[in-house]
Amino acid sequence: MTRQIGRRKALAGVGTAVLSAGCIGRVRNIAGRDRPGQLSLEINTMPADNDPNGIRIARQLAENAEAVGIEMQINTMSLRDLRRRVLLNHNFDIYVGQFREAEPFDPDVLYSLTHSRFGAETGWQNPFGFADFGVDELLSEQRTAEGDRRRSVVSELQEALVDRQPFTVVAFPDALTAIRDERFEGWGAQQPLSIEGLLGLEHRGSSGDETGDDAETDGDTETDGDGDEADTATLELVTTDQRVTENWNPIAPEYRRYGTFTSLLYDQLVRMDGDEAIPWLAAAWERSDPETFEVTLRDAQWHDGEPVSADDVAFTYEFLGDTSMGNVEAPVPAPRFRGRTSLVQSVTAVDDATVRFEIGDVSRRVGLRALQVPILPEHVWRERTSVATIAGFEFDGETTEAVVSNNENPVGSGPMRLVEATAEESVVFERNAEHFLVRAGQDGGVETEAETGGETTNATVSDDGTTNMTTSDGATNGGTTNDGTTESGDGDVTGSSSIDGIPERFRGKPAFERLRVEVAPSDIAAVQAVGDGLADATFSNLGPDSVPRLGREADARLVSTRSAAFYHIGYNTRRAPLSNPRFRGVLASLIDKPLLVDEAFEGYAQPAASPLAASPEWVPEGLQWSEDDTDPVHPFLGEDGAVDVEAARDELREAGYRFGENGRLLSRDQ
Amino acid sequence: MNPLVSVVGRLALWVGSMLLVAGVAVIGPRRLYELWDGLVPRLWRIRYSLVALGIVLLASAVGRGSLQTVSELFGLQMTGFIYALEGNFVAWVQATFVVPELTIYFSWVYVYGYVFLLSFPFLAYLALPRTTMLNRLVIAYALNYAIGLVLYTVVFAHGPRNLMPDMVTSLLFTHNPDFMALTSEVNEAANVFPSLHTSLSVTVLTFAVLTRREYPLWTPIAAWLSTSVVVATMYLGIHWLTDVIGGIALALGSVALAYRIVDPDDDAESPETDREVAAAGSGGE
Repeated sequence: MTRQIGRRKALAGVGTAVLSAGCIGRVRNIAGRDRPGQLSLEINTMPADNDPNGIRIARQLAENAEAVGIEMQINTMSLRDLRRRVLLNHNFDIYVGQFREAEPFDPDVLYSLTHSRFGAETGWQNPFGFADFGVDELLSEQRTAEGDRRRSVVSELQEALVDRQPFTVVAFPDALTAIRDERFEGWGAQQPLSIEGLLGLEHRGSSGDETGDDAETDGDTETDGDGDEADTATLELVTTDQRVTENWNPIAPEYRRYGTFTSLLYDQLVRMDGDEAIPWLAAAWERSDPETFEVTLRDAQWHDGEPVSADDVAFTYEFLGDTSMGNVEAPVPAPRFRGRTSLVQSVTAVDDATVRFEIGDVSRRVGLRALQVPILPEHVWRERTSVATIAGFEFDGETTEAVVSNNENPVGSGPMRLVEATAEESVVFERNAEHFLVRAGQDGGVETEAETGGETTNATVSDDGTTNMTTSDGATNGGTTNDGTTESGDGDVTGSSSIDGIPERFRGKPAFERLRVEVAPSDIAAVQAVGDGLADATFSNLGPDSVPRLGREADARLVSTRSAAFYHIGYNTRRAPLSNPRFRGVLASLIDKPLLVDEAFEGYAQPAASPLAASPEWVPEGLQWSEDDTDPVHPFLGEDGAVDVEAARDELREAGYRFGENGRLLSRDQ
Repeated sequence: MNPLVSVVGRLALWVGSMLLVAGVAVIGPRRLYELWDGLVPRLWRIRYSLVALGIVLLASAVGRGSLQTVSELFGLQMTGFIYALEGNFVAWVQATFVVPELTIYFSWVYVYGYVFLLSFPFLAYLALPRTTMLNRLVIAYALNYAIGLVLYTVVFAHGPRNLMPDMVTSLLFTHNPDFMALTSEVNEAANVFPSLHTSLSVTVLTFAVLTRREYPLWTPIAAWLSTSVVVATMYLGIHWLTDVIGGIALALGSVALAYRIVDPDDDAESPETDREVAAAGSGGE
């Protein structure tokens, strides 16, 4: 990171001095000190083809930092490589990227992102290597606090994070999606890129097939053999992200963006739809005492026909905590879902369909997060618990087969199963006819009866924790219908319970028999494919350059939803000078967020200071984006996009940094 | 219709008609007619070079994906370095010269003109009675691709349009997204150094200069087209100046090597002798 200037020349000089003058002692005193080097930092981000916005943020940071005298170099790489460097190897100075959650998330997400206990782990677990006592304490406290108490803890937490800047939040983008209404409707009711968005789609029935548009019939003829007339619909998506054609491992962080496709393959016990907790693979759950959840499973099958059992659930949690299942001396935790699994103390299978979770003393809302991990089949993953090898050679004793597997034949229990894939080109999924969502649609007669049940079972979790109080107080669970436990807890695990708690719009879904994802070389080509009728929707980031293109395509339109996947600049706080929060603070104030939103995002984003800005109810007043369009804590040092070089240097000097004769920031060897 | 199919169709139409016109004008109807008789024996004589080229192209088509992975994991990350080296040169080119007419012209040259430029010499040298030049051309193509593939693997870098979208517009793909369907089939976005468009065009130009006595009309056409292709790579924001310089070096190196590998004497078994080609050939060494 630091470049030594003229080291060899200096040594030659020292040599002469030693020979001529011979005053060894003095030479030792001078040459024994490391000379300060010139600082150079590397910014890693994706090329414009893959992410048109991140590179622009990186460019602005690099240019403004250069102006101040901090040398920066941008290196572009694929998302897979970026994730590998940042999340797995921690081999980076600075990166620009998006957060992994597309939808507004609970503040507890920050726990795994910034708690120092995860600093040595891989994955989205504190990739910054950030360690701060105060923050750690607040993170733990927000897990147990309820209501207003939690709100104030979360406020304090955000203030601390914004102040220390392990990462700089830049803006919350509008997720732009090009769609065609022709064959499917219901786009944009939810985030189109989320599993809820995809499952919420409605097929336009057979009307589309009758018109005989060639693009459609092409897609449909392949599935005609199934014989279902209205259901032989193929949803065609186009993406610029080829990773989904190569890897379906739900615990491989370098391959997952929001995990939408793996969520279609693997079910969670519970899904959150906004504030609504939907019983998913769990038919119901009951908080028998403040620290125990008792979960009843639905009648479900793995894609290979094996039944989903309570043992699988218990295995999953143990496995996510240690993917070696004790084969290796030190546990190898899964690089994803660590924040959630860290809530769970133990999981035991009570009987075939009942699982008991011992969770710590946490609020109900946080406790529910523990139930949101993909459930994995024990008979498949148990075989992947050995240490990963290449040609029989152990590369790294801390990696298991499970973590590095591409999971080429994913056996899940989810609503879709993998059919075929051509690496870097396309992947095809088909509907899992055995899934409870599909069965829920078929139980036509029971539907009305179930609907009443459904309404009561959908627990609405409010932030203020009022429902929590009743649950945790009333440990006997009498009358607490929030969790839907009283109705469905006993015995009706089979049969009609397949619909219990499932909102109307998900019943009988997905509305497509097949899901085909095609890889396009760029966002513009992806939009073009939707415009030409080759695809129903784009499934990856679109840059503003592709927006005018869409205007020219008559049948396609743009759906825009605010995404919670905020763009941020992440710092590797293990490396000096990025280890210094003051230095990070100066870098943060070299970013002109409103200008970036205007020019890079062309207005399709909202600048922000707090990582929770997508859920404004959590953001304290002091961190809200101010009226005059400046950052409330680290305002841009300059005006009209031009950085005020002297002001920035003064701040750096105040923080103890020095500049060389050429105006370059100097730094001692780190 | 699939954008790839339509763009390939248009490509075949353009290049086919250009080959026809240029064939009649440059090679001449008489030689073209004779070519038909000599076709099989001439191709047979250069069979080893053709097989070599075939192997290289096949390896490139099959192995590109895995080599790309190797490049990503172990290659030198050079995007930042190249940018530090040449700065905003490509951005300056675009800021100074871009007008819609030129964009249409350079897009056309980059796709259609380039394919014509590469295929015409093959036809022209095939029409010569001696196969020395043809042999050298095929060997030079193979060397370009082979060395290019190695360099692509060693150097992992993205082009200017990918690093500075704020200053360099991806002109080709913004105006003709279906071209991207074609180029993405034959290329990876992270393969920019060296520019194979440049190296193959300059290879053709070098041969055109060396065979100027045989095909005097071809030399200025090749000069015009290959210069246009070289400029187009930067004008369209696809390549760095560094890639272009690397491409030129690769071209000259490949031609020199091809001359070393193929002696005019290799053609001794040929019944016909053509002094002029031999003279042009030896003149180049």
